Amino acid sequence: MLLKHLTPIIDAELICLGVAIVCLFKNKSKVWRSMILFMLITCLTELGGLYIRRVLNQGNDWLYNIYTIFELGFPSLMFAHLLGKYRNSKPLILTGLAVTIFIYIIELLGYHILGAQDLAISVMSVCFVVYSLVYYYLIIKDETYINLKFSAAFWWVSGALFYYFGSTANNLFFKIIFEQNQVTKGGVSAASLLSYNISTALNIMMYVCWSYSFICKKWLTK
Amino acid sequence: MLELFIYMQKMADEIGNLILVITLIFLIAPAFIIIYMFVYNERKKRHIKEKMQMKLAFDAEMAKTQLEVQEQTMQTIGADLHDNIGQLLSLTSLTLNSVELEGDPKAKKKVDAAIDLTLRSIKELRQLGKLLQGDQLIAIGLVAAIRHEIDWVERSGKFKVTYVDEGELPADGNTDKDLIVFRILQEALNNIIKHASASHIHIKIEYRDAVLQLHINDNGIGFDADNLQLDKQGMGLHNIHKRAGIIGGDVIIRSKPGEGTAITVIIPYA
Repeated sequence: MLLKHLTPIIDAELICLGVAIVCLFKNKSKVWRSMILFMLITCLTELGGLYIRRVLNQGNDWLYNIYTIFELGFPSLMFAHLLGKYRNSKPLILTGLAVTIFIYIIELLGYHILGAQDLAISVMSVCFVVYSLVYYYLIIKDETYINLKFSAAFWWVSGALFYYFGSTANNLFFKIIFEQNQVTKGGVSAASLLSYNISTALNIMMYVCWSYSFICKKWLTK
Repeated sequence: MLELFIYMQKMADEIGNLILVITLIFLIAPAFIIIYMFVYNERKKRHIKEKMQMKLAFDAEMAKTQLEVQEQTMQTIGADLHDNIGQLLSLTSLTLNSVELEGDPKAKKKVDAAIDLTLRSIKELRQLGKLLQGDQLIAIGLVAAIRHEIDWVERSGKFKVTYVDEGELPADGNTDKDLIVFRILQEALNNIIKHASASHIHIKIEYRDAVLQLHINDNGIGFDADNLQLDKQGMGLHNIHKRAGIIGGDVIIRSKPGEGTAITVIIPYA
């Protein structure tokens, strides 16, 4: 029953999970292996959210609020691992985590678990964008040459940058525009439809990059 | 009412356009960053390659200069031996010849022996001077110079040297390369004399398809060539590699303890 409600985002996530299992299951790095768990949690959350929304006809914000914790944790761990190859990444990552968790708790106390955690997600996105740019800067500064075409780390960061940079716009600007201009076309807000399409495109881009990154990690990265 | 609907429709289109523009900007920005990363990375690759080439060129230039200085020093020593010590020995020989000891046959015998020794010293000195002044020796041709060197080694009586040459070297040979090949041979023979405890040395020079190969084999004690670290190579082996590298050549050294040593020098020789 759920299958007929599957969205392109969930399809992309399931494919990415499959690629992660095939490519990372025997990987020596615990951090890279943790991506399998993260993708599994992501897929379960999406399927759970879909079930709650479509089958039970209930709000699923609470589920995504819980998922935010994992979404904050796993990529932060990966960024710490990737940046750690070039410099001490702990101060940067821990600061980002502290700020995001602080805002998350404030929002949780203010809006209750059932409300959407928009600000925390936006701050988290900005943190990830900053980490990505720092990573690029460190690659540029580093004297050793790496072939970016086949660099697992580079493509993982690029996927994250595409998604979190784009979703920051989606989260911040669009919400403001929508609130001021509630215009509907055929019962569905035109802007929210566009926003959904953009979100889908961003998700697909990220999971394509991540899947390629996992493939690079197994076969192409030296 | 219709005007309001048209106005709302127009607003919806404007919002849609705005969202599209913002989205494009937010997608193009990371795309540009990634493209820039690739461009910069390619530049970095070129820079690293250029740096490596410059380092190689610098190392080759340094090695060349060192060897030129070495060659010059050898020439000077050779010339000094010939001109100064050689002259002194000639004078000694003349002086001894002028001594009249008709009434003392015992002393005459000793003076004659001294004259003989002095003449032999002069001869040896001239040979040594020639070997040191490599460019003069090379002027008679690489093959002849190698034979000269072999004569010098064989004269010690400790080694049996066999020599083979295959293929004819170009008539207008390259004097600079000949001198370096000759010096490599001298270095290798010097190593054998000093360290190998060998009794037989086999030298082969072959020229084929614009490539000159010099093989120097001995039946000495050998060494573990596979596990010889770069920093533990003696000056001799190091110099052989360095000299060959200057003229774009390669050196293969095969040796095992107790099994002698085989050195092959491959030089592009057009």
